Amino acid sequence: MAERRINNMEKIRTAVAQDLLSGRIDLLLGWEKGLYWWQSRPLFARNSEDLQRLTWDSFCVANLSGYLQEELKENKKIGILLKGCDSRALNRLVQDQMVDRERVVAYGLPCPGLLDPRLLKQEAGLELTALGIEEGEDRVTLTGTKGKSIAREELLLEKCRRCHHPDPVGCDQLLLPPVGSREDRSRFHQVTRLEEIPAEERFAYWSSQFERCLRCYACREACPCCSCRECFVEQEEPRWLGKAHENSENFIYHLTRAFHSAGRCVECGECQRVCPVELPLMELSSKIIKDINELYGEYQAGLDTEQDPPLLTYQPDDPAAFVE
Amino acid sequence: MPRIGVFICWCGTNIAGTVEIEQVVNAARSFPGVVYAGDYRYLCSEVGQKLIKDTIKKENLERVVVGTCSPRMHEVTFRKAVAEAGLNPYLLEVANLREHCSWVHKDPAEATPKAIALVRAAVSKASLDEPLTALMLDVEKRALVIGGGIAGIQAALDIADSGYTVDLVEKEPSIGGRMAQLEKTFPTLDCAACILTPKMVEVAQHPNINLLTYSEVEAVSGFVGQFDVRIRSRARSIDPSKCTGCGICYEKCPAKVPSEFDMELGKRKVIYVPFPQAVPNIPVIDRENCLYFKRGRCRICEKECPAEAIDFEQQDEIIERRYGVILVATGFDSMDLTGYGEYGYGQHPDVLSALQFERLFNASGPTAGQVVRLSNGRPPQRVVFIQCVGSRDIARGQNYCSKICCMFTSKQAILLKEKLPETEAYIFYIDLRTAGKGYEEFQRRAAEEYGVIYLRGSVGKVFPEGERLLVRGVDSLSGRPLEIEADLVVLAAASVPRRDAPELARLMSINSDRYNFFDEAHPKLRPVETHTAGIFIAGACQAPKDIPEAVAQAGAAAAKAVTLLSKEKLQSEACVAKVDPARCSGCLHCEAVCPYGAIAATETEERVRGELLTRTVAEVNPALCQGCGCCTMTCRSGSVTLQGYTDEQMLAEVDALCLQR
Repeated sequence: MAERRINNMEKIRTAVAQDLLSGRIDLLLGWEKGLYWWQSRPLFARNSEDLQRLTWDSFCVANLSGYLQEELKENKKIGILLKGCDSRALNRLVQDQMVDRERVVAYGLPCPGLLDPRLLKQEAGLELTALGIEEGEDRVTLTGTKGKSIAREELLLEKCRRCHHPDPVGCDQLLLPPVGSREDRSRFHQVTRLEEIPAEERFAYWSSQFERCLRCYACREACPCCSCRECFVEQEEPRWLGKAHENSENFIYHLTRAFHSAGRCVECGECQRVCPVELPLMELSSKIIKDINELYGEYQAGLDTEQDPPLLTYQPDDPAAFVE
Repeated sequence: MPRIGVFICWCGTNIAGTVEIEQVVNAARSFPGVVYAGDYRYLCSEVGQKLIKDTIKKENLERVVVGTCSPRMHEVTFRKAVAEAGLNPYLLEVANLREHCSWVHKDPAEATPKAIALVRAAVSKASLDEPLTALMLDVEKRALVIGGGIAGIQAALDIADSGYTVDLVEKEPSIGGRMAQLEKTFPTLDCAACILTPKMVEVAQHPNINLLTYSEVEAVSGFVGQFDVRIRSRARSIDPSKCTGCGICYEKCPAKVPSEFDMELGKRKVIYVPFPQAVPNIPVIDRENCLYFKRGRCRICEKECPAEAIDFEQQDEIIERRYGVILVATGFDSMDLTGYGEYGYGQHPDVLSALQFERLFNASGPTAGQVVRLSNGRPPQRVVFIQCVGSRDIARGQNYCSKICCMFTSKQAILLKEKLPETEAYIFYIDLRTAGKGYEEFQRRAAEEYGVIYLRGSVGKVFPEGERLLVRGVDSLSGRPLEIEADLVVLAAASVPRRDAPELARLMSINSDRYNFFDEAHPKLRPVETHTAGIFIAGACQAPKDIPEAVAQAGAAAAKAVTLLSKEKLQSEACVAKVDPARCSGCLHCEAVCPYGAIAATETEERVRGELLTRTVAEVNPALCQGCGCCTMTCRSGSVTLQGYTDEQMLAEVDALCLQR
């Protein structure tokens, strides 16, 4: 397994090095190792030295598509490494005319799903610093414990456990063999569970969640959908959102953000990942995605760029319960 | 804060009867910016308007709020008054104190605070009003009439006679519509063809009418004065410049299908003209049923045609043209009666719909004018007519009265008696509705001179009994059950909108009622206009109508259309959307949802870290924008605003309304 990973890494590095060093791309967006073994962080590689730090492992969670808009202002052509969810984000950005696809070289990385450090810690019952892992094909062994081995699927990030399309779509090249679609995974079980709770309890649940929000707007900053030049949050004319730290304002912020990403959320989970108080933000987007699917037919943002986004098209047989 | 004047109208007792005017005026004086508040009995009158104009000058008003009826009624009146006093007309706000308040409340204790709240909201909005200017736009001097029945024919002729070019689009191979299917017309018993065909010929010969039969409207965009329409002219498979109309092709054609014109009673050929007086007298090949198109063999018509006019390769033609006005006259269908199994329709050949029965009288109909039972070809001895089949039937049909059935049933009974004097005619009716010039007399003649028997009551069941049909019903006047043996049963099917009416309404962006009849803009005062400026309606597409009404309405709609066409320029909508390019991220979602094609991408330049970058943003074409506001709803960053209805204004109104409580 370790050998295969090294082989894969070489394959990836060779492919992107060719393009970066020949000048086909000015910048490569990838990942490098962070401070700890369970962290991989974005890498902005411009030369062969930078490329040495390039990594692809089970912790490359950051969705790099979000950087494109800003980076394209300074670079002519950018190469970018994309997992399945990341590739959908790029496609959606292209559909929204936020990114000029001609100026991007997309390298697809079929994704086996990423590991959730919190689950590792939980399973091991140890601090992560005292822990290490050995990854097998389907299982992960926790070193530092007494060789505890757990099915990989059970250690995946929440977003990966509901991911149907781990293979990138619409890329210029796939750097690794595809892993196949995973439509067997349950995508909406969390939302369904929330839907079943009586409205008052559900309100209480969300109140207690939003109560904790710091309004740091990290969710917005990390979201590849949030492409507005000026967010409603900062607008003064009119002022949609009060500055006070009030739960009612927190509600307005989160619900409006969820609606603003309606029909465009690719379920990359960045909003939830970067939240310092761990708000279950994916559930808001999931609920809207589920509703769109039920009302207008199956749609996954960014999966098929030929398919018209349901919220931007009109079909005579669209349900219109609100006007009937 | 601009100087605002508030004027409250009594509207006689319409508003003053439920709303304490004085309280509203006093409250208005306390609203921010209000320097004058007054009231008048009829603000829309000359005197009322003068009050507004004089006060604007005397008090140096910068904004005006009127508390009156709906802006749909008098917004234009007051905008003009305000403009005459030297203010921009869009610095006026209307608080709807009548439709939104006094008419829907009974108790002044509730209505008055609501009226005050509505005025407060209007004042808040007015304080943020900005002057707006409308563009003056060209009017394309060409009309489109959709539907070639009697209403469409009349409207096309009237517009054409006024000197404007008209394109008349008809879906079928010939114009004529429902009227062409009729034998005689009530109450004069004129032969329908004798009065219709001269008009059809006039259409064909009129230098200002461009006739497009076998054609359908596929797309409509644009707005009053400049509608852009795509019309598909289906391939007739015949070269009209060569065809002489000799008819050899359809004589020789070996394939037959049920004739739509004869309501499926008779057969027509696959290459056909729907009826002998068809205009144009050029056949079409029904490609779905043609042996050559189906199986690649036959081409008999081609061999026989002396003019060599058959063209199997002909393609549909797409016509894209601009029109100043559109007139819709698409007519009606006879309701499908398959849901009325108890009458045996569709199961027994002697149970006919009224339109089918009508065809039996016609010399070129399925029986060559012989009124006979289709089961055995013998003349009927007794015919039972059942009215209101589908009409006035809340459970299974339409709630409305189809209006024409009482009269056409009497007409058919008279025609029957004229043709077969010995045959008995029974008519089951719920009520006899004969309002119209000469209508009551006509029905009386049927009963008194022709001996038609009218039975008030309903029929429960029709079923075969031996060779005849047994009609079982109730005479509701005597309360007795009735059984009548009949040879023919004729059902007066409800008139319903054309099946494709909802689709057409969507194409044209016009409203329909709950039955899918097209809606007029006002049931009394704007009966031929729609809510979409520049689109008019005439005939039975609006509601069931007889011929005189359809013709009258067509004339009215044509007059309205000509009024528009005669204008050199039309004022465009002033409350249009506007994009703030600094905020716009150029996602162009607004372009995707704009129903008028008024938004397009444009380039803007901006400086990023000292470098000049160009990027895409949205731009609104104010000539095309109709101010619907879809774009403003779609834009997440609020980069598009609807002028006259900005977010700030809406929020100010909401704040004002909430403050009241």
